[in-house]
Amino acid sequence: MSRNLTRFGRGETLTIIVDGTPVIAHRGETIAGALLATGRRAWRYTHHGQPRGLFCGIGVCFDCLVTVDGVPNVRACLTLVAEGMVIHTQNETSDERTS
Amino acid sequence: MSEQVEIAIVGAGPGGLSAALVAARAGAHVLLIDHYRQVGGQYFRQPVLPVSLTTAQRQGAALRQQVLEAGVKIYTDTVVWGIFQDRVLGLYSPKGITYVQAQVIILATGAYDRPIAFPGWTLPGVMTAGAVQTLLKEQRLVPGQRFLLTGTGPLQLVLAAELVRAGAKVVAVLEANRFLARVLRYTDALWGQWGRLGEASRSWLTLQLQRVPYRMGWGIVSVEGARQVERATIAPLDAQGYPIAGREEKLECDTVALGYGFIPFNTLARLLGVQHVWRPELGGEVPIRDAHLQTTVSQVYAVGDCAGIGGARLAQLEGQVAGYAAAIHLGYRPTTDLAALNKAVEHERRFQKMYHALFTPPPGVYALSHDDTVICRCEEITQGEIRRAIASGAHTTNEVKLLTRAGMGNCQGRMCAHLIARWVAHETGRSLEQVGGLPPRPPLVPIPVADLGRTL
Repeated sequence: MSRNLTRFGRGETLTIIVDGTPVIAHRGETIAGALLATGRRAWRYTHHGQPRGLFCGIGVCFDCLVTVDGVPNVRACLTLVAEGMVIHTQNETSDERTS
Repeated sequence: MSEQVEIAIVGAGPGGLSAALVAARAGAHVLLIDHYRQVGGQYFRQPVLPVSLTTAQRQGAALRQQVLEAGVKIYTDTVVWGIFQDRVLGLYSPKGITYVQAQVIILATGAYDRPIAFPGWTLPGVMTAGAVQTLLKEQRLVPGQRFLLTGTGPLQLVLAAELVRAGAKVVAVLEANRFLARVLRYTDALWGQWGRLGEASRSWLTLQLQRVPYRMGWGIVSVEGARQVERATIAPLDAQGYPIAGREEKLECDTVALGYGFIPFNTLARLLGVQHVWRPELGGEVPIRDAHLQTTVSQVYAVGDCAGIGGARLAQLEGQVAGYAAAIHLGYRPTTDLAALNKAVEHERRFQKMYHALFTPPPGVYALSHDDTVICRCEEITQGEIRRAIASGAHTTNEVKLLTRAGMGNCQGRMCAHLIARWVAHETGRSLEQVGGLPPRPPLVPIPVADLGRTL
């Protein structure tokens, strides 16, 4: 579901790859900020198949984890986007994919 | 080997910056450490985009500049993952693991939003008020379209007004405490707080003009949605904060911001063996401190929200007190007027006392979850599992963790320990102090084992 978020003035753009798809982001944005700005809200599926996204926003809860350039469990709320960054959302569901 | 410093300050928010400035101006060799990319903490958080600054952001930028000019060494993007004998701090940064040995430690680690659990609280779209605030302040991003704010305290008003000004729809602001009838008892505490009163009234006016419903004595009951928040159920609350059955209403919304106050970030102090007391009105477990804000461990000070929720202004004043005391201990002669400083601290504490009397979350907000509601978000442990562990003999928070894995995940119980503690207290009839929290163990944050191994 796409979501037309209100955005303030943004600076320099760059491209990140989210699950294989190029996404325009802006220098200075966190990964969470960039994902939310595209309308994504759920970007991790837990062991029990439950969707998760941003919760505490300040690096405490570890709900917003993504895989960045092959490194798993990176906090999307703290990590800044960079040109060409390859981001994979995490599906930790034990059996079948639920999404 | 370890780097040597006179004063290591953990946390570069209002408290840490202020402590650093006083001590460094007196001549002390100060290291300021923060796990974010930039100093300022939550309150002074700077935007990362080329936009104009808010008043708080301008103040924060000025304070940072003064601290740099005073010669304070700053390590950002650096987390303190443990504190060991002789005040040795274990640091982790993109450069790897290093150690610092300090003669004095000042803890200024701040606080984080206190989450409450209710059916649906793990759905994407439910976030803390602090998360929404951070996205607005730092990222200049509005993370939704239709917001429901639920919690207690004037910060909710301010956030709602900011959202409205940014173009979002706020469907309602729910205030758990019916505080208006009691606020007049505290005119002396409000006297002189013109900045705060001004901000609250400007926010109020914005909400009135936009016809945002402000519902006092109301709260969230649950949220629903297939893969994210689609609607919320809300209800009026009784005097103890429990929803009144049969009076629920449904609201369409996509984002729910939880603003139920803050929990002091006290893990480093507890790791150091500092004695704590349970003060619910100050946010939970807080360190015992003397008049100079020294804890029960010699030459370890604690200032600001990590020592009891008091806000940015009190944190700055306390930081100055501890910075002064630390400098004196090291043989320097700071020029601070301590009498005037202590007077300002007292004035600010009066305001905080009023704040806590009016805006402490009532007990009912902790009783919204059901047996199938997840309490430990990391390990996905439900309330039912926690209650079964208590029924089978667990009578401390730590015993519940050992039996169920609740609190054992990545966040190390920072989200759920206070919720589990309430259940243990409720089911066993013991006090929150008796059931305790989760004992902190280093590393306090997940660190790659490869990095840890290299330093051994």
